[in-house]
Amino acid sequence: MARLYGEKRANLVRVFAARLRSVSEAEDLIQDLFLKVQALGEVEVEGDGSALLFRMANNLMLDRLRSQTRASARDGGWRSLQGVVLGDQQVADIPSAEEVVAGRQRLQLMMAAVDTLPPQVARAFKLHKLDGLSHAETAAAMGVSRSSVEKHVSAALKALMAKLS
Amino acid sequence: MTRAQTDIDAETSEAAIAWLVRLQGETVTEGDWLAFDAWLTASPTHAQAYDDALAFDQGLDLDARFAEAAPAGAPLSTPLAANVVPLRPARRVWMWSAGAAIAAAFVAGAVLVPSKGLIGGRETTYVTGVGERRAIALEDGSRIDMNAASRVTVRFERHARRIKMDDGQVFFDVAKDSSRPFLIAAGDTQVRVVGTQFDVRRRDGQVAVNVQRGLVEVRPNLASGATPFRLKPGQGLSHHEGRAADAKLQAVAVEEIAGWRQGRLIYRDQPLSQIAGDMNRLFPRPVKLGDAEVANMRLSGVLIVDEQDAMVDRLSHLLPVKTTTTEDAIVIRAR
Repeated sequence: MARLYGEKRANLVRVFAARLRSVSEAEDLIQDLFLKVQALGEVEVEGDGSALLFRMANNLMLDRLRSQTRASARDGGWRSLQGVVLGDQQVADIPSAEEVVAGRQRLQLMMAAVDTLPPQVARAFKLHKLDGLSHAETAAAMGVSRSSVEKHVSAALKALMAKLS
Repeated sequence: MTRAQTDIDAETSEAAIAWLVRLQGETVTEGDWLAFDAWLTASPTHAQAYDDALAFDQGLDLDARFAEAAPAGAPLSTPLAANVVPLRPARRVWMWSAGAAIAAAFVAGAVLVPSKGLIGGRETTYVTGVGERRAIALEDGSRIDMNAASRVTVRFERHARRIKMDDGQVFFDVAKDSSRPFLIAAGDTQVRVVGTQFDVRRRDGQVAVNVQRGLVEVRPNLASGATPFRLKPGQGLSHHEGRAADAKLQAVAVEEIAGWRQGRLIYRDQPLSQIAGDMNRLFPRPVKLGDAEVANMRLSGVLIVDEQDAMVDRLSHLLPVKTTTTEDAIVIRAR
């Protein structure tokens, strides 16, 4: 199990970074997974142990959401929940004025690029990415299927990446 | 932001983006993980392409976050109408606006019932339905933020501002006006303030007042004529209606007060029956407790308000329960 962990670690980080919206948070989560795996010792795993690893990590993530909230409540803030760790960078609670301006400018570029997308694609992207609706909520708001939402959001990301990066 | 590597072909890049979007969804299964793992393992350029997409996507989040970090103290004055969705980067923070937007699809809007008050003064009743939330600016400059399934009546008189609270939960941000105290009647409890911020919850025979700022005077069981409690920020008072004797003064974390306004249900050793009740005010499909054992299970923690199925699923990770979902109800039983 520990060997499997070593093999799958990087890919597990990739999965959870998507959901936690932060690579460092995901790294941290997978660190905890290692402790769990060690505590398990040598176990007989039926079938693919990799699925079990994923389940364990997934449960850890749920636990973490809860305890982080409690810990940060004690600290007098909601820092971790509010996603201050983003894109692998620890963002100061209050970014500097220059950072705000630069971020705003990049956001304006992004919005301009979004406006050139096909209307359905732009709408799905805005609802999901900017308004924070989940895929299912976006689907409900637009009256389309979840897989269409995924397709639209992917198309938007692809176009933006080509334009902006 | 990471520059995309030129040696990654368009097809791979597209597949990487599709994976990223899929994994950001709310239902990532074991099957997804196994397929994703296989895809990554198939070629090192796959991992490279995915990492580029991830870095680019998080860069977008970061920019949005910076752009949002505008004037301090904005959250309390931000209008919260369901159709106004502010641009914010931290997704969990806006679960509510999302939830409210969805709710609007199946709940009729808040009902305004203007009527003549008994002692002159205009009287208006505000009602929110299941899953609905509403922020209201009152004519004196006060703001009230109503949680789902709540009902309050507001009446402005020359010498007093009166609120009558039926079943509900409301966060008050009271404009200062020392000549006209702000009086809230919630069942047997009277709350009196001049200008401050606090949350009042009257649910299932229990009244709780939690203070975020200022000074709030609370008289549980008004009829008894007992001396009022004076609550400071970070203090809360709760009791069962009609039983003033069991009124308990407690310390509360200031930033936890009215967590529901940010889409968080915050519990400290609360019974599952209360949690089910709260969820039933958010979603039309009822959550039912299958046996007495689960009703008495207690939870400390935070439930992020998003999709009902996902919330129930998280509960089953936090407590030894299993859930059965049918078309018209979700039943929770001891495991």
